[in-house]
Amino acid sequence: MPPLLADIVVGAVQTYLLAGVAFALAFAARGVSRIDPMAEGAALAFRLLIVPGAALCWPLLLFRWAAGSMAPPVESNAHRRAARRPR
Amino acid sequence: MSHRYRAVGWNPQKLAYDRTIALAVTSGLGIAAAGTAVLNPAATLETILLRSTALTALVLLHAVLSIGPLCRLDRRLLPLLYNRRHLGVTMFLVAAAHGVLAIVQFHAGGDAHPLVSLLTTSRDWSSAERFPFQIAGALALGVLVVMAATSHDFWLRTLTAPVWKTLHMGVYVAYAAIVVHVAFGALQSEAPPAAAWLLGVGIVWLATLHTLAAHREARNDRSVPAGVSWVDAGPAAAIPDGRARIVCAAGERIAVFRYGTQVSAVSNVCQHQNGPLGEGKIVGGCIVCPWHGFEYRPDTGASPPPFTEAVPTFRTRIVDGRVFVDPRPLSPGTWIEPARLEP
Repeated sequence: MPPLLADIVVGAVQTYLLAGVAFALAFAARGVSRIDPMAEGAALAFRLLIVPGAALCWPLLLFRWAAGSMAPPVESNAHRRAARRPR
Repeated sequence: MSHRYRAVGWNPQKLAYDRTIALAVTSGLGIAAAGTAVLNPAATLETILLRSTALTALVLLHAVLSIGPLCRLDRRLLPLLYNRRHLGVTMFLVAAAHGVLAIVQFHAGGDAHPLVSLLTTSRDWSSAERFPFQIAGALALGVLVVMAATSHDFWLRTLTAPVWKTLHMGVYVAYAAIVVHVAFGALQSEAPPAAAWLLGVGIVWLATLHTLAAHREARNDRSVPAGVSWVDAGPAAAIPDGRARIVCAAGERIAVFRYGTQVSAVSNVCQHQNGPLGEGKIVGGCIVCPWHGFEYRPDTGASPPPFTEAVPTFRTRIVDGRVFVDPRPLSPGTWIEPARLEP
């Protein structure tokens, strides 16, 4: 990889992850309970465990937190989609 | 199964599983280090650590990738699947140790940022002797980071099981990158290519297992043509008490359970990790998923309170001792009166 491109890639990844870690700490402390009721009252160990993932997936979590989502979405599969169709 | 997240839901099975992992990893590291030192007496401590972590991570990755197809081929091996995520995270930690050691050893001494140094080591992608195999290793480690960081059940619920499973299929991308990393790394090394030989055996092993498992799954997945109003699931008496027969309709598998004189049908897909409910059994009035023990009532498809998971249900009827299933799924958690066998 050319050095200039490598500098840009490494810089972009570092910036993304630094922003992610800052968000993840706030999310683990407060946000996680807002978007998922199963996290209400969860222990510190659980909150610390989700920090790395939150630092990676922070745009998705930020969107859900900002949108006021109260619970995770329910999965979609062939049976669930068919069950939603009018009979 | 819990209605509040915990860091780890410890139980005796998980503790035993993790003790076994710890013993296997410790032994693997020790054997690989001793083997490296014996085969290559001039090896430095750094080289021994690099090779022992690489070999141990490689073996662990093959174990992780073998568990799925092995369990599809033989249900007695299902306990291996129960805590596979801890095995995967352990494999990642050993691989990460290898990656950090390699970056410190080969890229931390210069003026450039170590990661920039890693990415610019070589630009000769057409030469086996100068191929930048370390970039392939970094790619694999990047995929494994994402998988390890999103391994908790919180991520399963947040992303939903189908998305989570798709993300975690990235392990095959990591495996392909590791094949490139090890193959070209061995070509450029003066040491005996033990890892390359091991990898060759591993590729054949995994390809064979996955082919056999896929063949078995395909044989059982003859889907009912669209438009059929009732699907014949065979004689009710042929379904063992508390167990299910699986039929394929409406684009997915349906688990048809018999419990005593009653028959109910639910979607075969567990909401937790999409485990095969029809391979589980009814215990205490609930279907228990064979993968992680999530429970659903057979007549409603809903988990008992305070749990909130639910799967679609299907109407059933029995005609001349044979079970028939309406292939049109009902909303998850919908109560359906069980069909009853004549006494």
